[in-house]
Amino acid sequence: MAELEPSDHALMSALASRELGALATLYDRYGRLAYSLAYRILGESEGAEDVVQDAFLSAWRGAASYRPDRGNPRSWLLSIVHHRAVDILRRKTTFRPAPLEAAELQPANEDTAASAERNVEDRTVREALDALPQAQRRTIELAYFGGYTHVELSELMGVPLGTVKGRMRIGLQKMRRSLEHMR
Amino acid sequence: MTEHVLDDLEAYALGALTRTDAERVASHLAVCDSCRGEAMSLGEIVGVLPESVPLREPSPALRERVLAAARGEVPPWRSRPAWSVGHIRPWPIITAVLAAAVIVLGAANVDANRQLRAVTAERDASGTTIEAIREGARTWYMAGKESFSGSGGTLYDPHADGKQPFVLFHDLPAIPPGKVLTIWLVSAGSAWARAANFVPDGRDVQVVPISLEVAGFDRCAVTMEDAPWGPRYGAVVMESRIAPPATAP
Repeated sequence: MAELEPSDHALMSALASRELGALATLYDRYGRLAYSLAYRILGESEGAEDVVQDAFLSAWRGAASYRPDRGNPRSWLLSIVHHRAVDILRRKTTFRPAPLEAAELQPANEDTAASAERNVEDRTVREALDALPQAQRRTIELAYFGGYTHVELSELMGVPLGTVKGRMRIGLQKMRRSLEHMR
Repeated sequence: MTEHVLDDLEAYALGALTRTDAERVASHLAVCDSCRGEAMSLGEIVGVLPESVPLREPSPALRERVLAAARGEVPPWRSRPAWSVGHIRPWPIITAVLAAAVIVLGAANVDANRQLRAVTAERDASGTTIEAIREGARTWYMAGKESFSGSGGTLYDPHADGKQPFVLFHDLPAIPPGKVLTIWLVSAGSAWARAANFVPDGRDVQVVPISLEVAGFDRCAVTMEDAPWGPRYGAVVMESRIAPPATAP
């Protein structure tokens, strides 16, 4: 019988007990995804690796304060990665809203070999995102991956702030329905 | 209760609010069950977005970097801490103060140097930090306020290249379960950058490395937070102005 892998929650408990092996397992489980997310936001490997290191150290330091009612460990870890990466993006003094076309080119960097390894769930999320009308998908992607505030998006896309908010709201609602339907 | 924030919850979930707006929303969520429920629901949807990202491999060295950094951290509860000097009785506070004095007085104090040598000998793992102190550092002291009165922390920004800044705390009180202390660096424009999270380990002296460069910020502060990420929400328990970095001509 195959040995049971520890659950994410068990890993968090072990982390809180300062077990370095739990951190290694957590990294093996989510390090690649965390790096991919950071890279998607920052667009360069050195900064992305710094973010991932920082995020895992935050998990190591903050495991005792982790609260399951606020989300599962995977989401918690990835939210730290997201926050850190976007913080860095926004702190860059030279940061300006990039041309829309340039920002949208980033997904084209996809590693086809890696893409082929994706599991069904990954493809489901991608499909739910791709199924959105372009304006809604673009708004959500530029907000989440591009680090743009909704006010910046309003300026960048040349639409009223209310339209940006509406696109976010309707887009996320549609994604929720799509994911419920597909899963 | 503050005004409902439903209009901003999608942007909040996507991280698309300014820090100020995010803090306003977070403050409301702390007291509004209905908005918090909707925010959590949106957070679940946003939480799957990373799965749409093209997968990439980090360098193999990153794994060891993460583990090595964690290995070098101060273990807060169990086992002997790698660098906390709290068990060296009766000196823990004296050691911390003398370490600071070495820097402030230009490493001229013989007693302080002797104490530092003692600490170095006692703690192999503290070598890097002690070396950072020996080679000089800029320091700023934060005095604890209210329930943290009597405690404090000194921010060290080592002069030596590659040495990580850290805060040397003393007499930290216990904090409620589920809470975390956060060290912030604050820019002149009042942007709060999270530099480290930690939980007091119950010892007299505790060292916490911080993950940001000090240069570019003009204030450091410590708050008690519910979560080790996200915008600042908790009250400031200690803080200090820090000298602005030298500007290029």
